[in-house]
Amino acid sequence: MSAPQARLQWTGALIASVGAAAIIIGGIRAGLGEALAADLASLLVGWAQLLPPLVGAGAVGTTLGLFAKPLGATPGEGLWLLGPGVVAWTVGWALLAKALQGDQKPVRPPSAAVGAPLYSKLAKAKDFYWDALAAYGFGVLLAEVGFVLVYVALVAPGAGKPNAAGGLSPVWAFSVAFSAAVVVAFIGGFLGAASSKRLATPEATAALLYFGLPIPVLLSAMHSVPALMTSLGYRLKEVVYLSSLLGENRPELGYWLVFAALALALFLGINFGFVANSSGKFDLRTSYEAFVSARHVSVFRPRLLLGVFSVLILGIVPPLIAFAIVSAAEAAADRTRIRKLGLKDPLLAAEALNELKLKQQTPTAMMTALSVGGVGVGVMALIIVLSVMSGFEADLQKKILGTNAHGVVMKYSLDMPEYADVMEKIGQVRGVAGQTPFILNEVMVSSEGNISGSMIKGIDPATVGSVTDLPSYMLPGGSLDGLEDPTKIHVKRLSPPPAPKEDVPGVVPDIERDPMIDTATPEEDEDAKAAAAMPGIVLGRELASSLKVVVGDRLNVVSPLGGELGPQGPMPKSRPFRVAGIFYSGMYEYDSKFVYIHLKEAQRFFGVKGASGVEIKVADVDDARAIMRRIYDSLDGWPYRTKDWGEMNRNLFAALRLEKLVMGIILSIIIIVAAGLIVATVIMLVLEKRKEIAVLKALGVPDGGIVKIFLGEGLQIGIAGGVLGLVAGLAWCFFIEKVGIKLDPQVYYIPSLPVRIEPVQTVLAVVIAVLITFLASIYPALKAAQVEPVDGLKSE
Amino acid sequence: MAAFLEVENVHKAYFLNGKRIDVLRGVSVTIEKGELVSLIGASGSGKSTFLHVVGTLDAPAAGSLRFQGTSVFDLSDAEVAAFRNRTIGFVFQSHYLLPEFTALENVAMPALISRLDKKSSLNRARELLERVGLSHRAEHRPGELSGGESQRVALARALMLKPDLLLADEPTGNLDPATGEGIHALLREVNKDLGITAVVVTHNVELARSLPRQLRLTDGQVVSAA
Repeated sequence: MSAPQARLQWTGALIASVGAAAIIIGGIRAGLGEALAADLASLLVGWAQLLPPLVGAGAVGTTLGLFAKPLGATPGEGLWLLGPGVVAWTVGWALLAKALQGDQKPVRPPSAAVGAPLYSKLAKAKDFYWDALAAYGFGVLLAEVGFVLVYVALVAPGAGKPNAAGGLSPVWAFSVAFSAAVVVAFIGGFLGAASSKRLATPEATAALLYFGLPIPVLLSAMHSVPALMTSLGYRLKEVVYLSSLLGENRPELGYWLVFAALALALFLGINFGFVANSSGKFDLRTSYEAFVSARHVSVFRPRLLLGVFSVLILGIVPPLIAFAIVSAAEAAADRTRIRKLGLKDPLLAAEALNELKLKQQTPTAMMTALSVGGVGVGVMALIIVLSVMSGFEADLQKKILGTNAHGVVMKYSLDMPEYADVMEKIGQVRGVAGQTPFILNEVMVSSEGNISGSMIKGIDPATVGSVTDLPSYMLPGGSLDGLEDPTKIHVKRLSPPPAPKEDVPGVVPDIERDPMIDTATPEEDEDAKAAAAMPGIVLGRELASSLKVVVGDRLNVVSPLGGELGPQGPMPKSRPFRVAGIFYSGMYEYDSKFVYIHLKEAQRFFGVKGASGVEIKVADVDDARAIMRRIYDSLDGWPYRTKDWGEMNRNLFAALRLEKLVMGIILSIIIIVAAGLIVATVIMLVLEKRKEIAVLKALGVPDGGIVKIFLGEGLQIGIAGGVLGLVAGLAWCFFIEKVGIKLDPQVYYIPSLPVRIEPVQTVLAVVIAVLITFLASIYPALKAAQVEPVDGLKSE
Repeated sequence: MAAFLEVENVHKAYFLNGKRIDVLRGVSVTIEKGELVSLIGASGSGKSTFLHVVGTLDAPAAGSLRFQGTSVFDLSDAEVAAFRNRTIGFVFQSHYLLPEFTALENVAMPALISRLDKKSSLNRARELLERVGLSHRAEHRPGELSGGESQRVALARALMLKPDLLLADEPTGNLDPATGEGIHALLREVNKDLGITAVVVTHNVELARSLPRQLRLTDGQVVSAA
């Protein structure tokens, strides 16, 4: 290389680096850095969904410190750097390209071949496939622009607000726009690869960098740069809304997720275009390819499938022991047979020995079995864990919905005196299955033995059963009737048959009386009368045991509210209640926190007029949100407000969802490991089959055919593993469901591991596993196609 | 009319530890239809390379190859693959049968690759096996065949799609003289009965002499050895 060229090269590299640095610094100073870097990083690692909680914990922005804005920076400050940065970047690369073009190796003494017509492939070699760049670039750009335009055109304006009208819902509009964009990106990749007849990775990189990145960068920048937001934001507000849905309230993440999906579509398009068109014409037939690849891996052997399946079901050790025993027996039988044959005729024995040798497995066969097992384990674990977590979720949902209403109607004030009218209106709304008024407050509950802070709920015993399962949760010995009529409270007597005097109906002796003495005095009679006037209260099992009370015992409810004003400020108000019953819902939080009294008592106790709200039960739990919306509309909105069960327990269900997601990601790692195993297996196959690849090429198999053969091999492993994993996973789920895995009742509040198989989720697990294995075998398949026939034929 | 096979000014070099070895230095040769040609030369003289270039298995650095007037190097990869599939039959020194497939399937493979009907392909493969005298070995895998048998299966495979050109790279190099003579006889028969043009690379001078046209590769050039 000559000195000026070297200098040019270094200058180009320097200018390009300065440009890149300027872009980065400008972006960070403009306030883009933090969001972009965090989004990109999380997206690249593939754990984008984990970001919101991390950001919530302040982990990304602060601990890294990298993206923190410089002190005193105002948003948009560094924007001016971006322009020169981009220019420097481009100029630097142009200089580099020029330097490389001029770069010539010193010429050796001329060979005899000088002057002969160049081999056509060499003659046609190009520096850069501009048409491929155009196809990739326009593909990805068109996909992005098309996505935004189609989405904005289709979606109902103001989607996400209650009065959205016309157009499609965001989900549908997104589906249509997204599919269209994916198809466009795929076609772009396909055409580019087809026209250049190669993967054209430099062109693809340039296309993504210069044509793909600007739009998502611009959209992300919109959120940091106020000037952009004012000029662009309102036009794209639907897109922003959609992205914040996709990115869990981080719209930038949504843009990058879509971009990543489109880039993946482009990548797939490139691969398909290359495979389909390296054979000259669009050829997706797979007659001999399937035949050959089936022989190569021979996954669908009963022995292999059975072995993997038994490992999945029984674990590694038992099948291994069984295998050892069976093969030991086989070997012993063979030895005896061969020895006998040897006595008869040496040649027969030799033949038998040879046959035994032929039966032995190649290393690749072993690898194939391992790969199938790996995929199987991944799919099985995914199915089992997701099903168990769904089971937990369903269990929790059932319990929450059992003790809680599906929705509540509240008012923007403390009480709702007109609750009867409200209930009448609610009753006419379609989908409402039951309703009951309630008053909710926080109190202290004290007994002789203990004291506890609790939620107290005033309920209407007549209608509460139409909304929650409270009546059925009542433990024997008590009932809700005691709330309505305290005289029905059954009092437990530790004493021998009571004196006839005490059997006066409605007069129940106080438990505080010493049962051993068991003599009634006139004063005690007075006590009994007072006790009869005591209203009933129902409390949860855990609370009852911590307060050490049983049915018939007496409790004091103390409220800081509703009391009179004393000399030192408000006096807490206290009132005795008698335990009318104890319930057990199975939800520790309810059983340890909730007490119920009659609505009328609550009105009196707290000075509330009417009720504080109405609880609703709906016919279809999953439709609760829409029904609550209808109720809201039928009540003409303000001053009323409605909430459904999802909103009431948002944190809990969000935590469950996150947990499930994290488990899904962790288990997907198993599948990714299995995919790595598949890559290794198929590469092993390629190395082992170099000779065969060369022979197949000599017989006229085009490159595309070779790719198809090895893709088919990866796919077979994936399908076999996926199906085995599915069957084994379902079998385990059924086992857990029918036989049950007992949980320690001291720790868990449910008797055994719950399972709920969700078909969509299960099928998705298998499909994703097969897809990943398919993608994993693309690389080795392309490697296989690159085996030169001559090299394969020489290798012997 | 254009010549059947025209090789013109083909150059090819190998690079070994940074040293260039010029194997073919402007090879030019013309072969007419129906000829049976032998090619001899010292070991490492580039006989196999020449055969691979003619068979489109190897790319030269420069030169042209015209088959019945068509410039083969100008075809696309897929067209070249189809050309190899339809027009050329290979027989290598080692048989290179596909080990996972039976002899019958191996013979039928070229037809399967060109997506002909499987059943009729297998029928034709059976006829061909009969012709090379191996019908009783149809269901055996290559591992269970002897060297001579394998080579006969390979010959049957090369003839599967009735190619115009048969390229044989030391087909008898690994065989004893008697078995080798059998293969030679078959080659002659194929050339005579089916009119298939054949180029046979060989070390066997006797065999070379017995063929109508003899070529010799020396110093990267093909010359007539007659």
